[in-house]
Amino acid sequence: MEWLMWFTKFENTKPLSLVIFFALFCGVIVYLYGNKQRGAQLESFKNIPLQDDEI
Amino acid sequence: MTTASVTNTEQYNYEVIRKFAIMTLVWGVVGMLVGVYIASELAFPALNFDIPYITFGRLRPVHTGAVIFGFGGSALFATSYYIVQRTCQARLFSSGLANFTFWGWQTIIVLAALGDVLGYSQGREYAEMEWPIDLLIEVVWVAYLVLFVGTLMKRKQPHIYVANWFYLAFILATALLHTFNNLAVPVSLFSMKSYSLFSGAQDAMTQWWYGHNAVGFFLTAAFLGMMYYFVPKQAGRPIYSYRLSVLHFWALIFLYMWAGAHHLHWTAIPDWTSTLAATFSIMLLLPSWGGMVNGILTLSGAWEKMRTDPVIRFLIVSLSFYGMSTFEGPVMSLKDVNALSHYTDWTIGHVHSGALGWVAMVTFGSFYHLIPKLWNTKMFSNRLINVHFWLATIGILLYITAMWISGIMQGLMWRAFDDFGNLQYAFIESVAAAHNLYIMRAVGGLFFLSGMVLMCYNMYKTIKSGSTEQQA
Amino acid sequence: MKHDKIERNVGILIILTMLAISAGGLVEIVPLFFIKETVEKVDGVRPYSPLELRGRDIYIREGCYLCHSQMIRPFRDEALRYGHYSLAAESKYDHPFQWGSKRTGPDLARVGGKYSNDWQTQHLTAPRSLVSQSVMPNYPWLSKTDLDYADIQDRMRALRVTGVPYSTSQAEYDKNVKEFGEETAKNLHIPDAEKNLIAQAQAGNFDTNPDKLTEMDALVSYLQMLGTLVDFRKYDDDYFAKFR
Repeated sequence: MEWLMWFTKFENTKPLSLVIFFALFCGVIVYLYGNKQRGAQLESFKNIPLQDDEI
Repeated sequence: MTTASVTNTEQYNYEVIRKFAIMTLVWGVVGMLVGVYIASELAFPALNFDIPYITFGRLRPVHTGAVIFGFGGSALFATSYYIVQRTCQARLFSSGLANFTFWGWQTIIVLAALGDVLGYSQGREYAEMEWPIDLLIEVVWVAYLVLFVGTLMKRKQPHIYVANWFYLAFILATALLHTFNNLAVPVSLFSMKSYSLFSGAQDAMTQWWYGHNAVGFFLTAAFLGMMYYFVPKQAGRPIYSYRLSVLHFWALIFLYMWAGAHHLHWTAIPDWTSTLAATFSIMLLLPSWGGMVNGILTLSGAWEKMRTDPVIRFLIVSLSFYGMSTFEGPVMSLKDVNALSHYTDWTIGHVHSGALGWVAMVTFGSFYHLIPKLWNTKMFSNRLINVHFWLATIGILLYITAMWISGIMQGLMWRAFDDFGNLQYAFIESVAAAHNLYIMRAVGGLFFLSGMVLMCYNMYKTIKSGSTEQQA
Repeated sequence: MKHDKIERNVGILIILTMLAISAGGLVEIVPLFFIKETVEKVDGVRPYSPLELRGRDIYIREGCYLCHSQMIRPFRDEALRYGHYSLAAESKYDHPFQWGSKRTGPDLARVGGKYSNDWQTQHLTAPRSLVSQSVMPNYPWLSKTDLDYADIQDRMRALRVTGVPYSTSQAEYDKNVKEFGEETAKNLHIPDAEKNLIAQAQAGNFDTNPDKLTEMDALVSYLQMLGTLVDFRKYDDDYFAKFR
């Protein structure tokens, strides 16, 4: 349990959280823009509001 | 006899949306009327009339409650129910729950206003409602969450459209903020009075975490949801970039929650919280502008409609004000700027360029699209929409110009020294210097209010010409 | 099968959203409850007496915080105008805090003792009779309304639940004597609240009318103690800087 004490120090947790959140942010960007096929599929969702009148 | 079965088989539940839409207009007029009145009280204190119930201190929470929770809240209920049904192609899963949220929410707004006038106050800005009303809000809000999520779950459309993400984040965040900011110990079971659980610096942090994110989620995220549906609909073209909307959604909801302490710069909170909040406030510019750019670029293919369609005009101006005030916000969160701007009218001007320019204008635009759809008709008069647009725009410009000038003037006068190192002005001189600007502000508010009244007339005529039967 | 997946998607969206919106609050607010250095250690800060507490309730009822701040910032002009900058310790018994966000009127954090009771009463009743350009409302009803202190003990007990050291037992009273001195500890004893409230109002004669115990008595007693508890001559500024 001694290792938990490492997290109680701001000098440690600040860079750690920065790394985590930045990695997450990059992950979201890669997910959104990394794959052309997925990108095209995501972009197709933008038509949802315009489809509703026909249904 | 067949009406009952017809109602049940209707594709969408529009009944509750119609009710919320009408109350949006009612609370808009009430809230803005009170706003103009208290603005006039600051210019002409005789208007307080020595009546406890209408003094500035008691009416100000009536104003903020009626416009934020009455006007803004009802608009969000109406549009979220409309959007979630139409983008999921599913009916609200419970009409009873929907009606409960309507009557519950309206009761809350009325009780809150009564409580404010009678002097029952928690003494926290935008959270003046005492504990019994807070509990009622909690119940209604959980019903709202259940209804919204339940409807998402029975959707026929496999993908959840991004507007619903914004509404969902707004519902969740509001629940979280409301719960923690209103932790209080009642004096007794039969007393309206309570004392907040936290004190001093901790209480201040909790309150401004709430206050800032009420702006961030109630008045921003949710209205972006509104924008992501009604801008494409009115422009007749899809949103510019769906992936940008997803990206700025996550960045926005994550970053907003860190920025609250910029309301407490230079106060008795630790420096690091203040610095952290300023840093995140600057970063917040990016996702805010992500949303603005996405909206503007969607409209950019419809420039020719700017000339002919006053609704598009409302939407584009609202996005412009959104961009302007989300730039002004980070600037004011810089500690050196804040040293000047804090405690002055500049803050009031900033809030109103967001609240009138963004929140109210995007609501007006959306409602000019929404109400004819709800009553199967066309707007009674396009000309009146146009007049409303100009009244509102002129009103906002008068308002924020007056507040910029008086705010910066106050900040400069308070810190001015004479040649001998003494304070140059007594405090009261800054009050006197603001007098004419307070009149100008009240006139600006009056312009905005008359636009709102005109909208009500236009809507009344529209609704009278329409019908509530749903097309097959 | 498909339905399962859809349900899971809403669930995932909710969970991810909750995570994203919780991080900021957790990091910024939670430490303040645990880091002791947030609040300075200074002598003199004490909970409100029963009369001052009722005065503070009236201050909140009338919405004074919407035009007056109680938070002096560490700037030269504010030091000259209002006095030493406010310490976190000075509002540690404030439920809720009343720092405010707007100065339509001046800051009140150290208004205590700056004006006489006479002046305060007259100013609250008719501000423009003393400051002709003021935009403050008149509050004539304060000195006409008898102070309602029927539930003063309930109020103190509620605050005791939040952590304010009002005493109910002899042991708690003795502890307060040790921490605040006998004079103050007496005023914090809940069973004697009514007696103490009346005694302070009579001794202070805050509304300048000795025959009546009014809301004005309570409010002025509160205003007159604001910012007076800490004796700043006892500390040098480097001491407070440590806590920021």
